[in-house]
Amino acid sequence: MAMEGIFGEAVDRIGGEPISARMARRAPIRHLDPTLLVVTLLLSIYGVVMVQSATASNQSAAGLDPNAFFSRQAMFLLVGAIVLIGVSFVDYRFFAGFASVVYGATVGALILVLTPLGTLRSGATRWIDLGPMEVQPSEFAKVGVIVALAAYLALRKGDVRARDVAACVVLVAIPSGLIYVQPDLGSMMVFVALLGALLLSGGAKIRHFLFLGLCGFVGIVVVLQMGLLKDYQLQRLTSFLDPDPDVRSVGYNLTQSKIAIGSGGMRGKGLGGENTQTSLDYVPEQHTDFIFTAVGEQLGFLGSATLLAMFVFLLWRALRIAVMSRDLFGTLLASGIVGLWAFQIFVNVGMTMGIMPITGIPLPFISYGGSSLITNYIAVGLLLNIHMRRFL
Amino acid sequence: MVSNYGQPPHASAGIDRMKLRIGVLGILVIVAFVALFSRLWFLQVLASEEYEELAQENRVRYVYSEPSRGRILDRHGKVLVRNRFSLSATINKQIVDEPRERRVVLRRLSKVLDVPVRDLRRRLDDVTVSPYKPVAVANDISENDATYLSIHQERFPGVATELLPVRHYPHRDTAAHVLGYVGEISPDELKQDHFKGARPSYGPGDLVGKEGVEYYYDRFLRGKPQIEKVIVNSSSDVVTTEIQQVEDPGLDLVLSLDLGIQKVTEKALLAGLRAARGADYAAPAGAVVVMDPTDGAVIAMASYPDYDPSILADGLTNKEYAFLGARTPDDPDDDALLNRAVQITRPPGSTFKVVTAGAALATGIAETYSRFECAGAAVYPPQGGSGSVTFHNWTSAYRGYIGFPESLEHSCNTFYYELGWRMEDAFGASNGDGSERFQKYARRAGLGHETGLDVRYEADGVVPDLAWLEDYCEGIESAGCDLGWLPGYTVNMSTGQGDMIVTPLQMAVTYGAIANGGHVMRPRLGWELTTPLDDGASASIRTFKRNVVTELPLEDAEIAAIRQGLQAVVTGSQGTAVSAFSGFPLDRFPIAGKTGTAQLDEATDKNDAWFISYGPVGQPRYVVAVLVQEAGHGGTSAAPIARQVWEGIFGVDNKTDVRLGVDASG
Repeated sequence: MAMEGIFGEAVDRIGGEPISARMARRAPIRHLDPTLLVVTLLLSIYGVVMVQSATASNQSAAGLDPNAFFSRQAMFLLVGAIVLIGVSFVDYRFFAGFASVVYGATVGALILVLTPLGTLRSGATRWIDLGPMEVQPSEFAKVGVIVALAAYLALRKGDVRARDVAACVVLVAIPSGLIYVQPDLGSMMVFVALLGALLLSGGAKIRHFLFLGLCGFVGIVVVLQMGLLKDYQLQRLTSFLDPDPDVRSVGYNLTQSKIAIGSGGMRGKGLGGENTQTSLDYVPEQHTDFIFTAVGEQLGFLGSATLLAMFVFLLWRALRIAVMSRDLFGTLLASGIVGLWAFQIFVNVGMTMGIMPITGIPLPFISYGGSSLITNYIAVGLLLNIHMRRFL
Repeated sequence: MVSNYGQPPHASAGIDRMKLRIGVLGILVIVAFVALFSRLWFLQVLASEEYEELAQENRVRYVYSEPSRGRILDRHGKVLVRNRFSLSATINKQIVDEPRERRVVLRRLSKVLDVPVRDLRRRLDDVTVSPYKPVAVANDISENDATYLSIHQERFPGVATELLPVRHYPHRDTAAHVLGYVGEISPDELKQDHFKGARPSYGPGDLVGKEGVEYYYDRFLRGKPQIEKVIVNSSSDVVTTEIQQVEDPGLDLVLSLDLGIQKVTEKALLAGLRAARGADYAAPAGAVVVMDPTDGAVIAMASYPDYDPSILADGLTNKEYAFLGARTPDDPDDDALLNRAVQITRPPGSTFKVVTAGAALATGIAETYSRFECAGAAVYPPQGGSGSVTFHNWTSAYRGYIGFPESLEHSCNTFYYELGWRMEDAFGASNGDGSERFQKYARRAGLGHETGLDVRYEADGVVPDLAWLEDYCEGIESAGCDLGWLPGYTVNMSTGQGDMIVTPLQMAVTYGAIANGGHVMRPRLGWELTTPLDDGASASIRTFKRNVVTELPLEDAEIAAIRQGLQAVVTGSQGTAVSAFSGFPLDRFPIAGKTGTAQLDEATDKNDAWFISYGPVGQPRYVVAVLVQEAGHGGTSAAPIARQVWEGIFGVDNKTDVRLGVDASG
């Protein structure tokens, strides 16, 4: 293989053979990043436990199976694990060739949601009912768009021009536009973050960012001026600045969430603790978007900080893989995934603590939900894939 | 696996640039997490306590269920006050907190309940009620209205209907002043010693007795509320409850009052006032006390004008308030809430002569056989000014030298002026040794200080002496004050005029001591505390004992001399109350007493009429003290009322109403 020449100087003193040649001969599995796998697993277990703890008491209070959410999330975990293995076995570069297919499928699924096939739930059509599981295409779209953008930018080989930036913006605009219509403002913002992360590592110039920033600013002004955002969306986005504790207002969630986290204190009130904000159902959506409040209340600062530390570790592994990648496509994929996770974690956790607007963004690996969990497992699969094949 | 994507990033010159770009991404991540960690530290470590408090407030509610307040019974177990439930409309001020919203709700409520907005608003804005509890704005609403309110809940935010316990008075205004009324404890009351140190302690919103025995015995009547600690979830559904304190109903209070005699007494007072008004006296108000001299038990206590406490039990409407609070706001005498038996002080007039006589006998100024001149006037040396001072009897007739019994029978003023003068000469602050033994005797006899009756407030009265004068003159620059204590003050006091003022109850105690052989009793209304048993009977928890305050320093013979005079007032040929008791079976029910006519104003003929009596003379069981304000002479207006009370007590059949007597005495 052509690789030998590049690492030609690096010679194994004992074997007298180039390292790359020796490495390449081995199966990719030998270059697995086990720590990434371990932290993924630990996060998932943390998540499953929290889902159980956040739902059990309300389920039993309603006379329902207290383990319902737990067992479904565990099942999603199993599916995720299988998907992870599948994704990591196929060489990631293979996906680059099919980037247009991936992108097409992503956009197709997002269109499908808007047809009568989509399921309407709490005022938004975000799901497609597949019998055993409701699929949320906007979750999968996140990875789909990363793959597509990474493939496109990898072809530019770091030489990104204004035209390319424009193309990327269009590539992102189509799926995010479809998601905006659902409506799902939060997920839409994730795509903007992905675009930023990929352009950054893809080689966009500072002036591109400045121009995009200006466009974004103008865009926001226009959106506000034309009243394109619905009142409730605007309220949700701004209420964190001055939350109104009234039950009927959107600030209520936030107020209750802060109370829950704050009252957790250093050690927390214990998993499944009785008479907590969580068990008494004061925080809405506490097993999905607001699951961090359950973490904060039940496990306290020690538990929450541990969770955040695990996220930091996860992101460090991903950034490391971005640097170690054999090629630009791998680097871009990894940095896109970093952007995806970092943005979601920051916005989600920040929202529960009142420093970010309220948006419907799940906390990776922790929030209840199959689509989100499986999507994140695909992302981990891709990272493992890049790491395993860094010599190939 | 060769493709365009296989190009390694390191191949280009951008190897460092790529690391730089990833580094920028990494820095962004670090910044984001630093923000998250610091916020987490703030919430969970720095501000944790504050949030834990908020969480507590969220989920913990304490539910108080008012205990049933004890009943109040008369000495025969007849119910004077009990509880009933009122279907009431309440407004939660915390929900309707906006003035505009409040206006709208009140207007709608007014229309449904047919109650003026003003009345609803007055109740709602009542500062004495707790801002945390729903305020009852209308009591005894119909079930139809209650149903309407609950069906149209959305039009009446904050409005609820509740069954609230309210005090019920089966005998309406009977004994209203004695019973008092209940209301929410005021911030001022919370600070009073009376409400301090109770267990459980009093708190805002508590219903407490405001007057009378309701106030005095509140601790026993109130009971203990059930306190339930309730954990609620976000939908305010109760998750768990834990009873922290079990309800303990209040004790029943048995009064020494006799409902039958009370009713007779109130009726007699009203009839007497009407009769006096018929004779062109103003007679705006009056009071009667019936007391057992053997143990100080108050058997009846009437005060007019009176009121129906049930209108206070559920808060006052504007109209009711206007009625109670002085129709003539400048005149405190017009206050229906005043218990005139203990809360007003007036000069006792000639009824005080019993005290003067007692003091003279006790101090040795006179003996039982002593005789003094009863002239039309007596002249005493100059009193500060030039020239001597003349004190007149109520009649110019000269009766010669008379003894104690006659002096009381005729109510001879000059006889008592002489006693007063002599006592001043011996013990007075100006002429005598300054020991003021006359005044000391008067205090010992129960005047000039509270009798200790178990009600909220009792007037002290005044027994004037040098200390009182100095206190009175404090800061006043006048010729009178500069002169200090004048002997004439003592002379004037000896007939119960001038600055000497008393309450009707004090006079009842003083006469009780003459009737019972010298024991000055502490009067009382509370008899016993009981708790109802399941079988309808009741168990006694505590009985209140007879309490002798002091003994009069009189020999039996001295008391006998006074008694003889008092009996002659009713039976003697010259007695000032003879006409009032004409036709009364004095042979079967011998009564003794003394009339009094207190001059309110020397210029006009405005007099308060007094009659204090006891009987049956051989073995006194009752003291009846009557005061009628601005109603002429004691024998004219007061004695006839007492007569009717006595008829009621002894069951003497009498179809006639109160007729005024004939009395010209002073």
